[in-house]
Amino acid sequence: MICPVCKKDMFVVEYKQIELDYCHSCKGVWFDAGELELLLEAGGLKEAKQTLGDVLKLPEARTSEKKRRCPICTINMKKVVIGGEKGVMIDACIRHDGLWFDGGEVADLIKIISAKATGKKETESEIMGFLKDVFGG
Amino acid sequence: MWEQIRANRVRSIILVILMGALLVLIGWIIGMVFAGNAIAGLVIALIVWGFMSLIAYFQGDSILLGVAGAKKIQPSDHPRLYNVVEEMKIASGLEKMPDVYIIDDPALNAFATGRDVNHASVAITSGLLQKLNRDELQGVIGHEISHIKNRDVLLMSMCGVLLGTIVILSFYASRVMMFGAIAGGGGNRRSSRNSNGGGGGAIIIFIIAILLMILAPIFAQLIYFAISRKREYLADASSALYTRYPEGLASALEKLAQSSIPVKSATQATAPMYIANPFRNKNVSVNDWTSTHPPIQERIRILRAMGGGAAYSNYDQAYRTIKNTNSGIISDNTAAAVGAVGLRAAVAEGPVETAAPVDDKMTRTREVNDMMYRMNDYKTIQCECGAKLKVPPSMQGGVIKCPRCGRTHQA
Amino acid sequence: MWLIWVILGIVVIIIIFLAGTYNGLVNARNVVKNAWAQIDVQLKRRYDLIPNLVETVKGYKNFERDTLEAVTKARTAAQTASTSGDIAARSAAEGELTGALSRLMVVVEKYPDLKANQNFLALQEELTSTENKISFSRQAYNDQVLQYNNKTQQFPSNIVAGMFGFNKEQAFLQATESDAEKKAPKVSF
Repeated sequence: MICPVCKKDMFVVEYKQIELDYCHSCKGVWFDAGELELLLEAGGLKEAKQTLGDVLKLPEARTSEKKRRCPICTINMKKVVIGGEKGVMIDACIRHDGLWFDGGEVADLIKIISAKATGKKETESEIMGFLKDVFGG
Repeated sequence: MWEQIRANRVRSIILVILMGALLVLIGWIIGMVFAGNAIAGLVIALIVWGFMSLIAYFQGDSILLGVAGAKKIQPSDHPRLYNVVEEMKIASGLEKMPDVYIIDDPALNAFATGRDVNHASVAITSGLLQKLNRDELQGVIGHEISHIKNRDVLLMSMCGVLLGTIVILSFYASRVMMFGAIAGGGGNRRSSRNSNGGGGGAIIIFIIAILLMILAPIFAQLIYFAISRKREYLADASSALYTRYPEGLASALEKLAQSSIPVKSATQATAPMYIANPFRNKNVSVNDWTSTHPPIQERIRILRAMGGGAAYSNYDQAYRTIKNTNSGIISDNTAAAVGAVGLRAAVAEGPVETAAPVDDKMTRTREVNDMMYRMNDYKTIQCECGAKLKVPPSMQGGVIKCPRCGRTHQA
Repeated sequence: MWLIWVILGIVVIIIIFLAGTYNGLVNARNVVKNAWAQIDVQLKRRYDLIPNLVETVKGYKNFERDTLEAVTKARTAAQTASTSGDIAARSAAEGELTGALSRLMVVVEKYPDLKANQNFLALQEELTSTENKISFSRQAYNDQVLQYNNKTQQFPSNIVAGMFGFNKEQAFLQATESDAEKKAPKVSF
């Protein structure tokens, strides 16, 4: 897979049987829709199919940040804010191919999740929890 | 089984002849309009058709597999898939093992190709391979193998060529005629040569010709779709018979129906080769005669209404019940030739819904992805922290830092 | 003159009919033979897989000896029966082996370590597939035998069959109905 930011090859990180695509130079992470589904199903969230739909229903974030193209379908992705009010802006593929986290965004997300530490089982917290598992240690 | 192939072949051949007649008609009109000689047009039409047929016959499968980006696999690449294909090969009584291909595409689909039983291949997308358990996979492969066994592949590719020829000829001929009509203005040069007097007659012929040029491709397409749909039902029935387990295919089709990812590399002409319509769109229920495939929900309902048997007669009965019609899809003597056939139980992996489907699905996904990585020469590094790094060839030779624990590895 | 032509015509038609039916019967018989050979290949494959399986399972301590021994014994019996040429005896012995294997696979469920062993999983896939292939080839063989037998009995091909000694073939039906398989739990081994 080609990094949508640096246009370089990414490599794959598998942890607890879930795969992420990771860019070595910009530290960006691609979370593929299929992997997301596996993660949420393993976490006992039934509505895994809706996940990306939920994220995509969030309002388009107003920003000057450059639009990124989905590494799978090459269509411009939608910028949305996850993790509540002061959350992190990520890119979501409008064709439900997956989610893109810029290099800094993963670290920011991990900070948020550490501060909040909600016990609730939710799509967003599952995603952030897993990213923390992989990149937080 | 031979009876059934023959009976269905007769019906299909009638439809093919209809298409052939359309091609002849097109050629005849082109000849009349452009050269004033019907035979010349016929010859042109037949040459184009013959040329395309030869290509389709000898190169059709490699073109199709190439366009789809399919990669051939060995038994060791994915033992389960290879075994299931072999099982269905045995159940169907095919003599030669078809080649097995995999397409790196998250869409869910599969197709069979090859000009005859000895030059056949089955291809499946990596997405579908991940999603299906063993029984479901067997149902899908059974469906594809029956396309090979029933000689559908050759029939459909030859029909595709006929359709293509008709579309191409009428497209260019009608453009040239329109252009000629506009450029020719008052019809001084061409029409005076074509019609010996009587300009009105020439105009009528011209209008009829244009109309036919527009209608012929549409008719051809409808015939093509009709043939295709019939073959799909028959392939479903054969799959149930081979596997003795209609629920496998039914459950696989259900998974296909839930997915709305279109197949990247499918085109109108290759659509009938796939197990389900590759352009499927969730919001549109493709339920009319302009579809290459019968509606997937209906196929599932028929398979589930087969009751306690897996024979053609059970499928035929279910087809009549679901479609609420008296005319079945399988001829009587066919159904009789195979007789009563019982079902078998699900495999140890468990009935489709139970037995920890999540774990199975996860294992299958890793299995299929890892195969794709191997085939693309990725290198796997096991980091001490528990993460696995899979490195593409372009990054090998350098130093890779594990993003989880920061350890460095020589890739 | 015309009478000679008529007689000649009838003779030609009879010859064509005889040749066509004869060839049809030969084809059907060959298909049956091929189908039988296919069963044979798969049964042999099963004999080959069993020692590997037994070796892999033996390594696990406290694994039930009796179950393993039953499998080994049934394999030997089946292999002996395969050389005897008696179809009925053979399908009974193969049925026993299928039953013994399915009991083994039920016992395996109690050993989670074993079920996580890659080597064992690969063997399990091979064995599952071989069992499937055995039943699919049996299925195909029985279908072919049915069609061939129909041809040898139905008019007019039965005349040709009688003239040239095409005998009825025996179906490998017993194995599907064997007691061993009926008693076995609902697992497809």
